[in-house]
Amino acid sequence: MLVIRRRVGETLVIGADIEVEVLESGGSQVKLGIRAPRAIGVVRKEIRTVGEQNQAAAQLVKQFKNPRPKPIRPV
Amino acid sequence: MHSFAQMPSIHTEQFGELHYDEASALLFPRGLPGFEQSRRFVLLDNPDFAPVVHLQSLETGNLCFLALPVRSVDPDYETILSEEDREALGLADADQPTVDLALLSAAQDGSLSANLLAPVVIHLAKQRGVQAVRFDSRYSHKEPLCS
Repeated sequence: MLVIRRRVGETLVIGADIEVEVLESGGSQVKLGIRAPRAIGVVRKEIRTVGEQNQAAAQLVKQFKNPRPKPIRPV
Repeated sequence: MHSFAQMPSIHTEQFGELHYDEASALLFPRGLPGFEQSRRFVLLDNPDFAPVVHLQSLETGNLCFLALPVRSVDPDYETILSEEDREALGLADADQPTVDLALLSAAQDGSLSANLLAPVVIHLAKQRGVQAVRFDSRYSHKEPLCS
């Protein structure tokens, strides 16, 4: 893994057209600003993990055969 | 009140022709990660499966999740909602009740796990839902279920 030390306000670039700027840092968090072409998806890694887990979760129901339930009504 | 024949319906793999009331349709403004195009779901309850509930897509007949209330998985579980999550849910204040569910999945060996990293949070009164992915690393997306 490439490790780069940066201060608030400093930027790094990835490839030709992706920029990552350190906007704030404090406590245990850093706030990053990312400039990238629209076609480049930028998401928190947990979101991707959850997306993959959801794909797996959608398979579970196929293991059960189920009688007809009734929709829950809003309370 | 609509008569049964007038109710909207969707053909589902799991339940056959499923009639539902618009008043029970839930809108997920951002969809779910991995299923961003799926915005409308309905929560289905079946005493035979309690406390497990089904979250059935109203757009894709073969998309249906099984879920457990988060606190039946972990009695101490506290849901954390971001500013964005609250907005998507139309939650005005912290005290409004939500239904918080953990989606279930099975590993290769058949063991079940619950996604406590990203509970599905539903505001029934507003008919809105989000999958609220936590920022902390307190819980896993695959918490083992003890049966």
